[in-house]
Amino acid sequence: MEDIKKAIVEFLESGKTKTKFYFKDIEKAVKDKVPNARTLQIKKACSALINEGVLIYYSTGSTTMYGLKGKGITEDH
Amino acid sequence: MAFEPKRPQKKLNYQELRLYTDEQLKNYTEEEVKNFKPKHDIPKLEQLEDGPWPSFVADAKRYALRRHKLGQENLLINEDVVDDLLGQLELSYVHGETHWKHGGIVGVIGYGGGVIGRYSDVPEQFPGVAHFHTMRVNQVPSKFYDTNFLRGLCDLWEYRGSGLLNMHGSTGDIILLGTFTEQLEPIFQELTQVLDVDLGGSGSNLRTPECCVGKARCEYALYDTQEMCYEMVMHYQDELHRPAFPYKFKFKFDGCPNGCVASIARADMSFIGTWKDDIRINQDAVQAYINGEFPPGGGSHKGRDWGKFDIYAEVIDRCPTGCMSMEDGKLVIDNANCTRCMHCINTMPRALKPGVETGVSILFGAKAPILEGAQMSVMVIPFMKAEPPYDNIKEIIDRTFEWWMEEGKNRERLGETIQRVGLQRFCEIIGVPPAPQMVKEPRTNPYIFWKEEDVPGGFKRDIDDYRSRHAR
Repeated sequence: MEDIKKAIVEFLESGKTKTKFYFKDIEKAVKDKVPNARTLQIKKACSALINEGVLIYYSTGSTTMYGLKGKGITEDH
Repeated sequence: MAFEPKRPQKKLNYQELRLYTDEQLKNYTEEEVKNFKPKHDIPKLEQLEDGPWPSFVADAKRYALRRHKLGQENLLINEDVVDDLLGQLELSYVHGETHWKHGGIVGVIGYGGGVIGRYSDVPEQFPGVAHFHTMRVNQVPSKFYDTNFLRGLCDLWEYRGSGLLNMHGSTGDIILLGTFTEQLEPIFQELTQVLDVDLGGSGSNLRTPECCVGKARCEYALYDTQEMCYEMVMHYQDELHRPAFPYKFKFKFDGCPNGCVASIARADMSFIGTWKDDIRINQDAVQAYINGEFPPGGGSHKGRDWGKFDIYAEVIDRCPTGCMSMEDGKLVIDNANCTRCMHCINTMPRALKPGVETGVSILFGAKAPILEGAQMSVMVIPFMKAEPPYDNIKEIIDRTFEWWMEEGKNRERLGETIQRVGLQRFCEIIGVPPAPQMVKEPRTNPYIFWKEEDVPGGFKRDIDDYRSRHAR
């Protein structure tokens, strides 16, 4: 789990202009780094990072994206 | 079977929950409503009050007055919220464009859905709606409420929100319209800890499952929609609150093919009650309808004189597959060709009843987008038993989720993924063999792609030989 969480954070930190990502983008990036990672494990790792306050959800109402807390829009706008 | 909750049920008492006195809740007169002028001039909106129908503008003005009479000391968000809402809408009518900004980092801790951020792009002009976030509350199955709950909810929303709500949104949730970010967590706390309800789904989540009234009141219900809806809500909590799907996903549970929650037109996975055996016929009652002793359709059209009941014109000739006939004065149904349209049963409910071996048909891939036409769901599983603990159905759901999470593109609904990769592939994934019920018009277009291994003896096809005669 820790290696997946690390891969998620590294991927989200790597975005130069983009700061919010779809789960599928995260999933692909994680599977590139941790080939045996399963989708459900990646989802659980994302949820754990949300609960730890490392990640935040960004929702338009119809879709949801993930971002690093403190990067890009993270407060009310 | 008696309802067995998965967690202790809370008994609510409004007298313990209430935030306002009766005098505060009935704080204006009709005379005051007539003379009330909202904070902003809204001539365009007021035209909407001219027609014969009730207008949301009239309701909103009435409610704006009530908030002013309650006073800011009894409200946690701006008492002008409704005035400002009307003012901003008027401005949108003038400009011909919206002044809302959608989405953002709003929600409650740990939840990825249930709150939809909305902000005004003219907050200086309309500070009462600078934030106007929507909260979705998971409705109880079939929307049976206790008035203690409803009154408690309205008090809470009046105190911490705009007081405006929808009963219900198209997914079935209670939609609480408009509050500020700082109120989200306290409202969530009150909803879950005091009123004992949860937030619903939004975003790339499983959306709040919805069911028809089912066996609670309807004789047509062919499985317990409430039980199944409740079970799925409790079982798929993680999918409801922690978004990781490519896009939204909806379950809807219709107890019979009449489809009162329109699952076939709106749900990615539609569960529609059906039967496997023959329609039960009471020939004496059929004669009674023919003789005019029973009103057709349960008397639903008795307001006008439609003439004597004609079983051919009103039932037999209307059967979409022509599977009904009269032989020697008896009604005969070729059940193998019945498509479960329900018309005959609806018209002669005392004479015809669904069979006794009941379950669900499972259809996939409907969506009802705003900008394009609705896409109806496709029959994939003609019949499946629907009994607790629903492990057979959960297995199909799990396979569907797993495949769609893998194959679906961002912002692509399940039905679009199925269309892109083909229904045949989808059937292979969930392990269902092709059947005539999956074909849209099997009587006119029975075409199916057979694979070599599907056909006894197989077949050989030389693609190079074919291309020598047919250009790509």
